[in-house]
Amino acid sequence: MVRWGLFMVGMLLLIPSMVCTPNEKLSDVEVQGRWLYDDHCAECHENSHPELRKQPPNLHGLFLGKQLPSGAPTTEEQLRKTIIEGRGTMPAFDRRLREDEVKQLVAYLHKLK
Amino acid sequence: MHSEKTQYLFKVTGVFGLLLLLTASVGCKGTKKYLLQGEILDKNIATNEITVKHDDIPGFMPAMVMPYHIKDPAVFQELQPGDKIAAEVSLPKEANDYLLEDVRITDESRRGQVKAPAAPHMLMPGERVPDIALVNQDGKTIHLSDFAGKALLVTFIYTRCPMPNFCPRLSSQFARIHDELKTKPDDYNKTHLLSISIDPKYDTPSVLRKYGLAYLDDESGFSHWDFASTNPTDLGHLGQAFGLQYEEQGNQISHTMNIVLIAPNGTVAKFWATDWTWTELMESMQHTLHSTMQSSESPSIPRLPLLIAPGDPGLGLAQATDELAGNISGKNSAKRGYYD
Repeated sequence: MVRWGLFMVGMLLLIPSMVCTPNEKLSDVEVQGRWLYDDHCAECHENSHPELRKQPPNLHGLFLGKQLPSGAPTTEEQLRKTIIEGRGTMPAFDRRLREDEVKQLVAYLHKLK
Repeated sequence: MHSEKTQYLFKVTGVFGLLLLLTASVGCKGTKKYLLQGEILDKNIATNEITVKHDDIPGFMPAMVMPYHIKDPAVFQELQPGDKIAAEVSLPKEANDYLLEDVRITDESRRGQVKAPAAPHMLMPGERVPDIALVNQDGKTIHLSDFAGKALLVTFIYTRCPMPNFCPRLSSQFARIHDELKTKPDDYNKTHLLSISIDPKYDTPSVLRKYGLAYLDDESGFSHWDFASTNPTDLGHLGQAFGLQYEEQGNQISHTMNIVLIAPNGTVAKFWATDWTWTELMESMQHTLHSTMQSSESPSIPRLPLLIAPGDPGLGLAQATDELAGNISGKNSAKRGYYD
């Protein structure tokens, strides 16, 4: 009986960690970045678009590699440049995102795995 | 000797008289009248207004085309488009309600020869397209008339568009058409693609060039596909002609999707909105090239004056009317249509 009880308690403790989102807890800045990502980036980068000349790359785990999808080095500055100026068929977000918003987005992209 | 009462009356009358004179003189100065001379282009029965193309009125107004109100219905009834008139005009009492008085017809020999130009409208298949000037990715000025003899596919984009199903889709599919036509040299040489920016402030030639190179293998493709922009006024006119609606909403430009195929003879062949495939667009371009109905035959729809001319809409209206008038009298034929 006691063992059953301990088992049940153990399972109850485990369940939350199984159903929780895989991302770690985000800071306020990163949460803002996630909103921005959902609003401005997800449409292209989270969906398949067979009609586009180039497929928008998957950005999950972006900061785990040494190179960005374009081949440029994985640095915050390079990422900022790509967001502001656009690259290839990716549009420029210049005048659409403020500098602080770009920083929030970059902060979130560190955590997007 | 007058009594005190009489003297008082004289004084009061005198003061009133002076006041009346002063009021009259001030009133006269307040409604100074100027001489207007011009030609009636149009008559609006609903509003009792005539549209007049008039000369400079020194000290009052430069030469222009604008509506004037005629108060007297008998006078209004008498006046007709084509009549040359002289009249008196003064500063309006209500904003923009310019009134003409003492209107006299000085020459009615061209009465009825001037027809009011059609209101700007979306073009129908068979109608000639306006000859708008654009600046392309090389910074070069191009005209729609440069593509006479070719099947020209036109669409509207802006480089900062973040919606994958809009401009990125348009440009990607135009790229497919371009790539496919490249494999068919005969068709390639007789077709052209044109992407016109609806964000001319941001989409400068260098921005358009960078954008174009993302959809082309190399810059030789620009000989077949131009990325261009025009001034906001002409963009508005083009938009009207091709049914484009667009609006800046915050940091985005909300716009309809519009593709227009222009036949080799400069008339609209077909429109598309959102429901199309790249193969359908390309095949339509090829069809206009190979169709026996093109190039030798004039469109069956009567020719309309150039509705749209660069610059101020008021001047554009005058130019359009001049051109129509030129059609009647045989003058200014060079300005009529760009495929003449």
